[in-house]
Amino acid sequence: MMADTDKAMQELDDLFAVARDTPAPLPDHLVTAIMNDALIARAENLVPAPEPITRTRVGIWRQLMIAIGGLPALGGLAAACAVGVWVGLAPPSFLPDPAQLVGYSDSTSVPYDSYDLAVVLGEEVQ
Amino acid sequence: MRNRSKTDQPDVYYNAEISKRRPPDTGPLMVGDPDASLSDDALLVLYANGDGRAVQELTMRLSPRCFGVAMRVLGNRAEAEDVTQEAMMRLWRMAPNWQPGQAQLSTWLYRVAMNLCIDLKRRQRGGYVDLDAVPEPADTGRSAVEQMQDGARQDALQVALMQLPERQRQAVVLRHIEELPNPEIAGIMDISVEAVESLTARGKRALAAILAGRREELGYSDG
Repeated sequence: MMADTDKAMQELDDLFAVARDTPAPLPDHLVTAIMNDALIARAENLVPAPEPITRTRVGIWRQLMIAIGGLPALGGLAAACAVGVWVGLAPPSFLPDPAQLVGYSDSTSVPYDSYDLAVVLGEEVQ
Repeated sequence: MRNRSKTDQPDVYYNAEISKRRPPDTGPLMVGDPDASLSDDALLVLYANGDGRAVQELTMRLSPRCFGVAMRVLGNRAEAEDVTQEAMMRLWRMAPNWQPGQAQLSTWLYRVAMNLCIDLKRRQRGGYVDLDAVPEPADTGRSAVEQMQDGARQDALQVALMQLPERQRQAVVLRHIEELPNPEIAGIMDISVEAVESLTARGKRALAAILAGRREELGYSDG
């Protein structure tokens, strides 16, 4: 049994030896294709790789600016603020002076409590 | 070799895709023999630096081995050509990044070729044996009968190889036909040396069993 196994292995080794002695010939068209590929790859390697696209982090002020609508919108907003301040400090004659309104209170009472509100609404229904 | 990036992982281009490749108009490739005594590493550095003369030497040194292994593992000539061309293309492309001395170039190429073979076989889910893949015996001055017998034996060996599991077949081809040392095979297949020994031993036993029924047909006598 052992002798049979040794014999089979020896025959297998012989087959391997024949396989080694008869290498597959490289087809000419494959050699040509491989050398053409070398040219292609050489051209690719000579071309510098494009810069990677890096995603930069956008700051909060930049985000706010974008949300508002850019520089023109920001200009409009600034002008509106300036007019508001101006009107507040030097109001036109037909508007009350804000300085005189300090401490002013309206005597009209508003029914804040739920009971008062119910009474008022009940009167209106009646 | 175990830490190779995934870019070395298999991705076979098929005939149609390969045939689309056309060399760019970058001038004629300088051919010739820069120095046959240069190592593979040195030739690849020359190529990476734009010396086209290294191409021919590298092609003639490396691609026959790659093609031979691919033929034995795949059992199909056209597929072996595709794998060889793709493996060599990857070699050209990685040339600028090659670190000389870190690994053997042939080991790297074998590894890429084996991965391409595995990928191809996985896609096919089966495959077939192409007896045309078996190389014609060289004219060694032997008689026609002996040459026919050698041819029949090679056909039988290829058919038997194709019956082995993929990894066993690769290990057996690399060990017994390419005669690579086990540590190098381990690097190529990304497994331990012990696993290589196990694969080759089991593969060889399986081959012997498969071929046992064809001994007489192949001209082996019991005497």
